[in-house]
Amino acid sequence: MRRKSAVRKPKAARKTRRPARRSPAKRPDPIVTLVAAGAKALALPIDPVWREGVAFNLRLILSHATQVDEFPLPDETEPAPVFRA
Amino acid sequence: MLETVAPDLRWSTAADIAAAVGAGRTSAVSVVEAALARISARDPVLNSFTAVTERRALMRARALDAARARGEPTPPLCGVPFAVKNLFDIAGMPTLAGSKINRDAPAAKHDATLIERLEAAGAVLIGALNMGEYAYDFTGENVHDGPARNPHDLSRMTGGSSSGSAAAVAGGLVPFALGSDTNGSIRVPASLCGLFGLKPTYGRLSRAGTFPFVASLDHVGPLARSARDLASVYDAMQGYDARDSACADHAAEPVAALLDRGTAGLRIAVAGGYFKCRTAEAVYAVDHVAAALGANRDIDIPQAERARSAAFIITASEGASLHLDRLRARARDFDPAVRDRLLAGALAPASLVVKAQKFRRWYRSEVLKLFAEVDAILAPATPCTAPLIGQRTFTLNDVELPVRANLGLYTQPISLIGLPVVAVPVPFAPLPIAVQIVAAPWREDVALRIAHALETKGVAAAMRPKEI
Repeated sequence: MRRKSAVRKPKAARKTRRPARRSPAKRPDPIVTLVAAGAKALALPIDPVWREGVAFNLRLILSHATQVDEFPLPDETEPAPVFRA
Repeated sequence: MLETVAPDLRWSTAADIAAAVGAGRTSAVSVVEAALARISARDPVLNSFTAVTERRALMRARALDAARARGEPTPPLCGVPFAVKNLFDIAGMPTLAGSKINRDAPAAKHDATLIERLEAAGAVLIGALNMGEYAYDFTGENVHDGPARNPHDLSRMTGGSSSGSAAAVAGGLVPFALGSDTNGSIRVPASLCGLFGLKPTYGRLSRAGTFPFVASLDHVGPLARSARDLASVYDAMQGYDARDSACADHAAEPVAALLDRGTAGLRIAVAGGYFKCRTAEAVYAVDHVAAALGANRDIDIPQAERARSAAFIITASEGASLHLDRLRARARDFDPAVRDRLLAGALAPASLVVKAQKFRRWYRSEVLKLFAEVDAILAPATPCTAPLIGQRTFTLNDVELPVRANLGLYTQPISLIGLPVVAVPVPFAPLPIAVQIVAAPWREDVALRIAHALETKGVAAAMRPKEI
């Protein structure tokens, strides 16, 4: 069986097929993509209309997380919560 | 003969009311009826109550009057009306926690521990109070119940999430109320409404029978119009409770009798660096309090800004974890602003949340070292006086910031490690603002003594709104 990619057109022909005036494809915002994927993985019903609001808050959380992540801590540091039974 | 005219409940302290009832100058029933009448007249404007427990309150007041008539000793808070943020269980009612969803929950079978303890001390519960949905709020706005309104200016925020607690006390409806404080939810409304507020040491007061938010950060405490009331109410609520797994087995340490010791010998410093707010009202409040206390040295709370970030991440993540099932089943029934924050929190990477908890441990050990040098630290409670209801942003140190997430930027680094704090109100025209008095773990007595001294000097005071 021949693979499609094996059939290559001459370079000139390919060049002429490229749309001349199309603006460069907009890359999807990785946080919005994460929101959509995370919602699916966790079975969270995030309405597409809410995505930008959730993404805004997730960016905020991640900006705070960066602050914490940049701070060097010894490997031996234990997490803080103490639970008493 | 029993005088039937109730004291001026609108601005009487709990101490005054208890003394009047105890001495027979009025009755518990008269006091409660006056409070109910005041709520009926004023709360349609303030919007602080979500339920008024009139029948229960009158029954309780009659029982107190009957006990007194029998010659039984009067308890310390005899006949003092109070109300609670609606995340406290009240037997026979669903615990709303500011939400629409919880209206469908079964009624609570028992009162929260702190309500039981206050009623055992003679106080009378008269209702449940408005709050930000699920306590994830600094503004006091609520899409389901409407915003509680600031008694000093009805167009302005109360602060949150203990919004109704602050509005009811500052509005003269009750002399004290209970709230909860995860990141600043007692101290922020105390500041914007001009009240005394106590966030005790983590694990000091029982949270049993309260709807949670962030288990490792949740505290409960009172708001009042005087430091003495704060201390009396706090004393009545102390003690171990096996129903709250975070409640420390720590002996009760009554404070009210210590208040008059003053501040002599206490080493007090002003928080520098991150806490140096440049707004006129915050500068005035901190400077005024520091001058009155002779606090002329600054102290650096190390990595406070990062601590606030850690609190932010932990809150988002633990809060989302609590509400995951509700987000799956009833996302549309949340306040949209709260829902978006919780959904984002559900997607926060666990590796960073754990790192925030590790940082929290490091930060705690560093801050505790400071208390070898000082007994108390002063810091602003909020960066500004009350914003307008609906206001989305404010400017702080030349940077425009969202209101909802940032009113607590000076409270979060403190509650992250569970230190006790008293917010003391400083009169400032046209609106009040508060200063935090931060003490070492289990030293609520130090913060309350300082608060009382400031009140005695006239530096701290709960401003009486013009309408009252």
